[in-house]
Amino acid sequence: MAIKALEAPSQPYTGEKARLTRAYDYLILVLALFLFIGAFHLHVALTVGDWDFWQDWKDRQWWPLVTPLMMITFPAAVQAVLWTNFRLPLGATLCMSCLLIGTWVTRIFAYHLWNYFPINAVLPATMLPSALVLDAVLMLSNSVTVTSIFGGMAFALLFYPSNWPIFGMFHVPVEYGATQLTLADLFGFQYIRAGTPEYLRLIERGTLRTYGQYATPLSAFCSALLCSLMYPLWWYLGKAFATTKFVKNI
Amino acid sequence: MLNAAKKLLGAFCLSLCALTIAPTIANAHGEKALEPFIRMRTIQWYDVQWSQDKLTVNDELVITGKFHVAEDWPRGVPKPDATYLNVSSPGPVFIRVERYLNGQASVSSTALKLGGDYDFKIVMKARMPGRYHLHPFFNLHDAGSVMGPGHWFEVEGDSAAFANQVKTLNGEMVEMETYGLANGVAWHAFWIALGAAWLLWWVQRPMFIPRYRMLQLGQGDALITPLDRLLGVAILLGVPLVVLGAQSMTDRAYPNVIPLQAAMDQIEPLSPAVNVGIVRVKIQRADYLVPARAMTLQAQVENNSDQPVRIGEFATANVRFLNLAAGLPTSDDAGGVIAKEGLSVDAPDPIQPGETRVVRITAADSLWQRERLDGLIRDADSRLGGLLFLYDPSSKRHIASVSTAVIPKFD
Repeated sequence: MAIKALEAPSQPYTGEKARLTRAYDYLILVLALFLFIGAFHLHVALTVGDWDFWQDWKDRQWWPLVTPLMMITFPAAVQAVLWTNFRLPLGATLCMSCLLIGTWVTRIFAYHLWNYFPINAVLPATMLPSALVLDAVLMLSNSVTVTSIFGGMAFALLFYPSNWPIFGMFHVPVEYGATQLTLADLFGFQYIRAGTPEYLRLIERGTLRTYGQYATPLSAFCSALLCSLMYPLWWYLGKAFATTKFVKNI
Repeated sequence: MLNAAKKLLGAFCLSLCALTIAPTIANAHGEKALEPFIRMRTIQWYDVQWSQDKLTVNDELVITGKFHVAEDWPRGVPKPDATYLNVSSPGPVFIRVERYLNGQASVSSTALKLGGDYDFKIVMKARMPGRYHLHPFFNLHDAGSVMGPGHWFEVEGDSAAFANQVKTLNGEMVEMETYGLANGVAWHAFWIALGAAWLLWWVQRPMFIPRYRMLQLGQGDALITPLDRLLGVAILLGVPLVVLGAQSMTDRAYPNVIPLQAAMDQIEPLSPAVNVGIVRVKIQRADYLVPARAMTLQAQVENNSDQPVRIGEFATANVRFLNLAAGLPTSDDAGGVIAKEGLSVDAPDPIQPGETRVVRITAADSLWQRERLDGLIRDADSRLGGLLFLYDPSSKRHIASVSTAVIPKFD
C-alpha cells in the first residue's frame, strides 16, 4: 500500500518531448502567476475593497459576507479550467496565493512606503485555508455539485475563524474620546484617510438584529449559501471562456 | 504609415521621459475642485488657527476654528445628516490624537444642523518629517469635501522616533505602530507556507501537456495518486482543525473583545454666533462684473444694537475680502486667501443704532477667478453665500451669513 501510495503518476512523454513540455509548463506558470496577481487582485480591490484594506472595516456582518462571496469567483473559474483539462486540483490555492502576493506588494509599497500607513493598520485577510479545502473537496469528489455545496460552504464558513487569530486582538477595547472603541476603530480615527471618512464604513448595518449579538455566524451561513451558488456560476464562466475559439477568430 | 508610427512612438517616449525626468510636486489636493456654490453655502469657516507651523516628530499641533452651517443649504446637496470633520494631508504624516466639536470629544461622524454654529479643536501629532499642506475640512456624505483654510507645516526629526502608545481597557499599554504585526505576519506566513507546499506538490511533476494528453487518452484516474488523495483527506480534516483550534486559542487569549463601534456622535450647536439678530443683513441683489472680477452686493443692514457698526469683511469659500481702508479689525483667522483691500462700501459712514440702510458692498479681486469662484455664474445653482463681518467702535463683532442669487454682467 505504501509503495503504491508513493508511485509517481505516469506521463506519456519521454526525452526531448518531456523536456519541451516541462519548459511549456514553466512558461504557462509564470504567465499565470502574473495574470492572476494582476487580475484577481484588481477584482478583489474593486469588489471587496475597503473591507480588506482597513482594520476598522472588518466587522461581523459585511466582511464575512462579502469577502468569501467575491473571492470564490476566480478560484471557481480557474478550477474549472485546471481540473477539467488537466486534473490539477490547485486552482483555488493558486488564485489565493497570487492574490496574497499582489496584496502584500501593494500593502507594503503603496499603503506603507508611499502613503505612510503602518502595515498593521492595513493587514489583509487570508483565504488560503478556505482555498486549500476547496481544492481538496474538488479533488476527492471530482464533482462540481459536491464542490459547490460542500466546498463552497466550507470556503465561506472557514473565513471568519481562520482570520480571527490575525484580527481578534484588534478588537480589544480602549477608552478614547469619552467613548469605547476597538483598537481597529482607533486606527481609523488616528491615521488620517481624507477620502474615506468614518460614515462611509459599511459596518454593523443591516437587519441581523433579531438574534442578539450572534451576527457573525448568521453572516457566515448566508455567505455559505451564496458561495454555493456563486461557485457553479463562475465554474461555468471559467469553462465557457477556456476555449480556443477566440484565437481561431483572429 | 511607418514613419507616422515611428513619430508617434518617438513623441510618446519623449513625453514619458519628460514626465519621469522632471516630475513636478503636486501642491494642492483639490480644494478648488468642488463647485463654488457648495464651497460657499455649506460649511462657512472662520477664525481658523494653528498652534505652530514648525514641529519635530512627536510634537503636537492644535488646529482650532469655528464654522457656521449655512441656512441656504444648496438644494442639490444632501442635508448634512452624516459628516466627518477631517484633516486633508498626504496620508497619515500626522496622526489625529484628539478632536472636539463644541468642546465635546468626538471620534466618529456626526450630523450638523442647518444654521448651527460650531467650534472645533483638532490635536494632531507629527509623525513623518517633511513639508505638508494641511486643511481642516468636512466630508459631507454624498456631497464631497468642503475645505477650510490651509497652511504649510514643516516637520523635522526622525520618523523612527515616533511613538503612539495607547492604554487598553485591560490596562495594557500597546504601541499602535507595531501592535499585532508580528502575529499577523506569522499567521500569513504559516498559511502561505501550506499553500506553497500544496502548489509545489503539483508543480514538481509534469503538468499541462502530458496531463491533458492522458486525459484525452482516458487515463485521467492515473493523474491522481492514492497519496494525493491521502493528502486531500489530511487537508480536509487538518485545516478546519487548525482553524478552529487557533480561533479557540485567540478567544482564550483575548476574552474581552468588542465589535467595531459604529455609533454616530451627537453634538448640539452652540448658542447662535452668526445671524444673532442684533444686526440683520439682507442681500437684495448681487451682480458679478466679469471683466472687473467684482461682486457687488446690495445689502439692507438693520442695526438693532446700541452701537454704530461698519462693514469690515466678507468671507466666502476661504477667500477673505477685507475693508482695511476703514481701519477696522478683521476676523481672527490665520489662514484663508486674503484680498487686503478687496472690500469697499459705497456709504462708509457707520450705520447708527436703530438705523436701517441699504448699502452697496463691492468685493473686487482677481481671487474670484484664481480661486475658481467665478464659475458660480455658470453653475446650476448660481447663488452666492458667505459671511459678512460688521464691527462696532469697541471692535465687537456681528456676523451675518448671507446669500442671494447672482446676476452676471459679461461686458
